[in-house]
Amino acid sequence: MVIIGENIHVIAKAVSVAIRERDAKVIQDLAKAQAEAGAGYIDLNVGPMKKDTEETMEWLVSTVQEVADLPLSIDTMNPVAMEAGLKHCKKRPLLNSASGKTDSKENMLPLAKKRNCSVVISVITDKGMPPDVDSKIESIMDTAAYANELGIPNEDIWVDPIILPVSTAGEGQRFAVTNLEFLKILEDVLPGVKSTVGLSNVSNGVPDELRPLLNRVYLVMLGKTGLYSAIADPLDKELMSLIKGEMAKIVELIHKTMDGEDIDLAALSQKEVEYVKTAKVLMGETLYSDAWLES
Amino acid sequence: MEYKAPVEAYTGVVREVTIGKGNKSLKIGGENILPLHFFDQGSNPNPAKFALEVLDMEPQDWPEHLLQPFKDVISDPVKWAKRCEELGADAVLLRLVSTDPAVKDSSADEAGALAKKVAEAINIPLIIYGSGDDKKDAEVLPKVAEACDGMNLLIGPVQKENYEIVGKALLEHGHNASALSPLDINLLKELNVKLCKFFPGEKIVIDPESAALGYGMEYSFSLMERVKQIGIITKDNMTMMPIIADLGGECWKTKQAKETKAQGLLWEGMTALSLLLAGANILVLRHPESLKLIKEMIETR
Repeated sequence: MVIIGENIHVIAKAVSVAIRERDAKVIQDLAKAQAEAGAGYIDLNVGPMKKDTEETMEWLVSTVQEVADLPLSIDTMNPVAMEAGLKHCKKRPLLNSASGKTDSKENMLPLAKKRNCSVVISVITDKGMPPDVDSKIESIMDTAAYANELGIPNEDIWVDPIILPVSTAGEGQRFAVTNLEFLKILEDVLPGVKSTVGLSNVSNGVPDELRPLLNRVYLVMLGKTGLYSAIADPLDKELMSLIKGEMAKIVELIHKTMDGEDIDLAALSQKEVEYVKTAKVLMGETLYSDAWLES
Repeated sequence: MEYKAPVEAYTGVVREVTIGKGNKSLKIGGENILPLHFFDQGSNPNPAKFALEVLDMEPQDWPEHLLQPFKDVISDPVKWAKRCEELGADAVLLRLVSTDPAVKDSSADEAGALAKKVAEAINIPLIIYGSGDDKKDAEVLPKVAEACDGMNLLIGPVQKENYEIVGKALLEHGHNASALSPLDINLLKELNVKLCKFFPGEKIVIDPESAALGYGMEYSFSLMERVKQIGIITKDNMTMMPIIADLGGECWKTKQAKETKAQGLLWEGMTALSLLLAGANILVLRHPESLKLIKEMIETR
């Protein structure tokens, strides 16, 4: 599993201040820490980036590349910032992201071709978020065909099924399950494509101290259904251990829960029980509540 | 080939909650089928019950056609409650609106004394609701619970902000809790999980908030539906409680209900019927004629 390190993100106050004040150390520390922790890419989420776009992107990209020998994921909705960022990348970058929306097809996809980079394409279209597996598949097949015609091969397409917060009344849990099914059939309908998700969105709105557990369990589940990469926090040691196969028993318990096997909770440690309970929530078996570990 | 209708059997059973004591009691819940799925395997031993609402002070904003059946007793909650009993209610809900700091801020002791008087005066079970102000309810409801010690009433709303203090008082004095959360299944479950850590599940009734027809009723409808499905189909222990639909106040707030009597009765009657279909086990109404209307609709089923 390729982890795209999410920590350089403008929503983090320290990052936005560092970008504004050109404080290279803050950015480089984050880049180094993520590279050392095992990230495969470093995501640069710069938001809409309205002023000094070109100059800022050049500074940010070269600042990170000075200390981390990793490819970058340029994460913005602004096509000008996107191109400015991609242009300065030394290693083949990831355009993050495009979608099936008309303006994205017209701006972002040609840019991916022009800069010869990989591109994240989400299942969203002009009609919004497709509600079920079939419509998600239909949407991504349309957009992938469009990208192929532009000359972008499947191997350069990283499909994003879009994760929603599991805590949103009913829908979030249904989507968590839908995405697992989607990933299972993706390879059959679009051979050669890769996949990625914005992992932490699954735990958006959940009490802070409980978020990592949901992220970890869901990543293991997505991994079982064939997920190629995830935009996630490589500084979460347990998350990294899980995907490196260092916590085999926990991974096995999550897989068993996914397969609907009976698990004797009494025979497990408290931590193992928490992992199983969380997997049940993400499988839609138990109704989510903030108190899901307590019942 | 002869057609055979498929019959579902379910695994979950809604807890049966008893409100009141002895011959002054009623039972709600206990079903192991989805609402009105009489064609499936299972039963509902306790058909839906109906309460009429009494306020602890003269209503300020009720239209004339709603006041009319209670006109002569409107300033005396005890007599008003007795009138509800005569008019065929299965239970009375006494709402302590005057305790609201924004209304009269009347004291917890007064509320307790009145609750006891009303409970003793009627021969049907009593439900008591505070003003809904979570801080004030945290003072008022424990006093009410104490004043009515051992009567096994249904008392609420118990909310996220005050469930510990109110829940403990209800437990100590032997009452049921009506657990209110704002139209959200995840919050509803969370409150039940937290309450159940010290409070018996078989003494909890879920109040998921009931909106009126045309004013968001569909949210209440699908939420109640979902509570029942998750309880009865997937056997979620924290949603297998009966549901109270506290709808009268919501209906009579609407412009349509205030305009004319006929509209008001239909507004309340149709909201009640809809929420009954969604799975409500006890419904709180204000007008005796809408009570009559909905009882007739059920009986001619």
